[in-house]
Amino acid sequence: MEVYEHDRSNTMIKSVSSLRSLAPVLIVLLLLALVPLFSPSNRFLSLAISAGINIIALYGLSVLFGQTGILSMGHAALVGVGAYTAALLARDFDIGFWVSIPVAGIMAAIVAAIIGIPSLRVSGHHFVIMTFAFGQLLTIILTNGGDFTGAASGLDMGKPVTMFGADLDALPRFYLLVVAFVTVSAVASWAIIHSSYGRTLRAIRENEKLAAALGIDVGRHKIGAFIVSGVFAGVSGVLLAYFLRHISPGQFASFPSIYLALMVMIGGARLLLGPLAGGILVSFLPEVLNLDPVQSRILYGACLIAVILFLPNGVIAGIADGWTWLVRMSKRRPAAGNVSEVGR
Amino acid sequence: MDILLQQILNGLSIASVITLIAVGVTLIFGLTGIINFAHGEFLMVGSIVTWLAVSNGIAFPLALILGVLAVALMGFVLERAIFRFTLERPTNGFIVSLGLIVVLQHVVILFWNANQKSIPRPLTTVWEIGGVRIASVRVMVILMTIAVVAMTYVMITRSRYGRALRASVEDRDTAALMGIPVRRYITGVFVLGSALAGLGGGLLIALFPITPFTGGTMVMKGFAVALIGGLGNLSGAVAAGLILGIVEGLSAGYGFSEWTDAYSFGLMILVLLFRPHGLFGGTSGPKMA
Amino acid sequence: MNAILDIKGLRKHFGGVTALSGVDLAINEGEILGVVGPNGSGKTTLFNVVTGVHKPTAGTVTWKGKDITGIPANQISGNGIGYTFQQAMAFPGLTVLENVQIATEHSAASTRTDFAWPTPAALLDFVGISGLAREKAGILPFGSLRLLGLALALATRPSLLLLDEPAAGLNDRETAALVGLVQQFPAHGISVCVIDHDMKLMQMLCKRLAVLDFGAKIADGPTADVLHDKKVLEVYLGGEL
Repeated sequence: MEVYEHDRSNTMIKSVSSLRSLAPVLIVLLLLALVPLFSPSNRFLSLAISAGINIIALYGLSVLFGQTGILSMGHAALVGVGAYTAALLARDFDIGFWVSIPVAGIMAAIVAAIIGIPSLRVSGHHFVIMTFAFGQLLTIILTNGGDFTGAASGLDMGKPVTMFGADLDALPRFYLLVVAFVTVSAVASWAIIHSSYGRTLRAIRENEKLAAALGIDVGRHKIGAFIVSGVFAGVSGVLLAYFLRHISPGQFASFPSIYLALMVMIGGARLLLGPLAGGILVSFLPEVLNLDPVQSRILYGACLIAVILFLPNGVIAGIADGWTWLVRMSKRRPAAGNVSEVGR
Repeated sequence: MDILLQQILNGLSIASVITLIAVGVTLIFGLTGIINFAHGEFLMVGSIVTWLAVSNGIAFPLALILGVLAVALMGFVLERAIFRFTLERPTNGFIVSLGLIVVLQHVVILFWNANQKSIPRPLTTVWEIGGVRIASVRVMVILMTIAVVAMTYVMITRSRYGRALRASVEDRDTAALMGIPVRRYITGVFVLGSALAGLGGGLLIALFPITPFTGGTMVMKGFAVALIGGLGNLSGAVAAGLILGIVEGLSAGYGFSEWTDAYSFGLMILVLLFRPHGLFGGTSGPKMA
Repeated sequence: MNAILDIKGLRKHFGGVTALSGVDLAINEGEILGVVGPNGSGKTTLFNVVTGVHKPTAGTVTWKGKDITGIPANQISGNGIGYTFQQAMAFPGLTVLENVQIATEHSAASTRTDFAWPTPAALLDFVGISGLAREKAGILPFGSLRLLGLALALATRPSLLLLDEPAAGLNDRETAALVGLVQQFPAHGISVCVIDHDMKLMQMLCKRLAVLDFGAKIADGPTADVLHDKKVLEVYLGGEL
């Protein structure tokens, strides 16, 4: 297709501005990669590693929820698919970490497709409920899987993570491994958001009917976005299995799914910094406030409700909106209302 | 054969509690479009209040009424304080309800720990008819559910308020224009649905010990039933509850009890694949009874 | 004349209600056809059945000799039929330019090479909102939003454009500008079918009118004749004419 001069300059401006959205994330990740230099405590590293593993899944959710506008409340189940794939590959085929990553990604994608196709037959916001139901169903299947899935007590991960012959199991090394994976997911998510595919997903989020009128196959793209988010979840599951060394069905049931949704809601799904902020905030908040697990869960629930009611685009976007508003006010120009909506 | 009959009876008594949830869920969805997943926790709170009352020496019938009232009040407060702000965005209402699940579960754990809680059976008689052992407490649960659901049904289909309610479900804006106080009806339905959940909770703890996490499984089944029947369709929910009760009873009778929890989901997924609006129609907001 | 879209015996029932009771309508190549009728006459249902939103109860829709009855909404534009909505005209959270880019990317008919406005920028120039290209569509004034809706439909490179009440909510000046744009379409190989009940607009735009009432076509012919038809006058008694 022939391109106007006007268009070309536009594209260039666009790619510069989109790089600008990636830069802060890369800087933050670079700083995080320096953390082991300050010999942090094991407790801190463990928390950071769990946060990072969640953040990988969150970058997938940010494509699904932030761009397409559909929320998965059963996402922990897809993380579980990744984790069980890794554990089974290690146990039955002696296959290690690096091969597990792509295989688990593919497995989670397949399960996402199996969940997505019937779920999207149900109109509109029922999709969310279907993801939740399938998440529960998967937990039941894992629990009843007998010796194959280790039933309710789950599976052990016997293999270490190695790279070029070096063992990566020591916490600081595993931490760096997770930071690297977070970086890859952030970049992948960024690339999707700024591709024409990402734009198509946003069009579906904004106006489904019009999107269909313009020739977009809405159903196929929604399933596609769910599958893409599943790949991120699967990869995150492999890291989880290798980090925890033991996995069981309860880790992938409803609360972990709510927990992931909470992280993505608090951080905000539309900004690239969102998953990073949400993952870190939610993981470290109880530690900072010195809460026991029960108290911290009450806090999580209350935060989720508060965020939905007061900051439906997430904390970061809320701060950004507040900033824009302040700037506008100081320029004494009428502020244009932005339509904010969570899901659909 | 005898065991089978007994299992079906058992299945039906649990299905009664599930139907009570499903009716509340379906009513609230029909009017507001909000899928309230915390409905299972409403049930659990009903169980806890009943348990607290019975443990403090209050007789079961009174304890049951206290449970119903407490949960109805809770529903009123939550609707006024939270859910009414999500009416324009039902998906937000759903997410808020997930937050509420976590809060309610853990507030209960904070005060009364996470252990199992049980009360002595309010009715201990067991009838034996032709080798089938029938626990009177199960019969009581089934009969009370039938009575309450029938009352709700009559209220919605026959009374003036019911007509106004159905008009509001069909078209909220038009109903409001016609002078129906729709907002008040929404609150009313929330309170009614919560009361039904409270009743379900009180009845459940009469059958089984409960934990603060009982609500989670129960609400999933309640939703499955509501979806199978067609969301917003009251009689559909009742019929689907009956079907699920029989299926679960039969499967337990044939020794597949560990898969019991999967049936409701499996059935739901199947129904939605072939009849996305449920077996008996409904869905996407409006239409009921 | 050559009919490019041929509707035959189209029926649509919703439960017990008959919205369309066997409508025949042909849209000819290169014309601007108006479909009018009072509220509830079946105009919007006709539109929705043709664009794949509803499946018809009976009847056929033939496009350039091919049966397209009941094909999914997202394949309609691929066949070269563009349409606009009364409401929900654009993607509010995306910029005006992004809106048009999306519209150009997905339609299978956009391989049509003989198209007057080959790029998003050219389309925005044509409808006169290129100055707003960087703005979020959600903050556009209503008149500009209508024009953006038109640009989006055009971006799918249609040979037929269905417009559902394109001037609703526009003031006289904006309406005149819109009429000016639409009148250029036939010369660019785009036939037009306008659905509206605003007779003033229809008189300005259309040489031929079809009138619907209670789901049936009661008149079809040159605008001047239709406006003097006895049955039509009865339907519009009280004088919207």
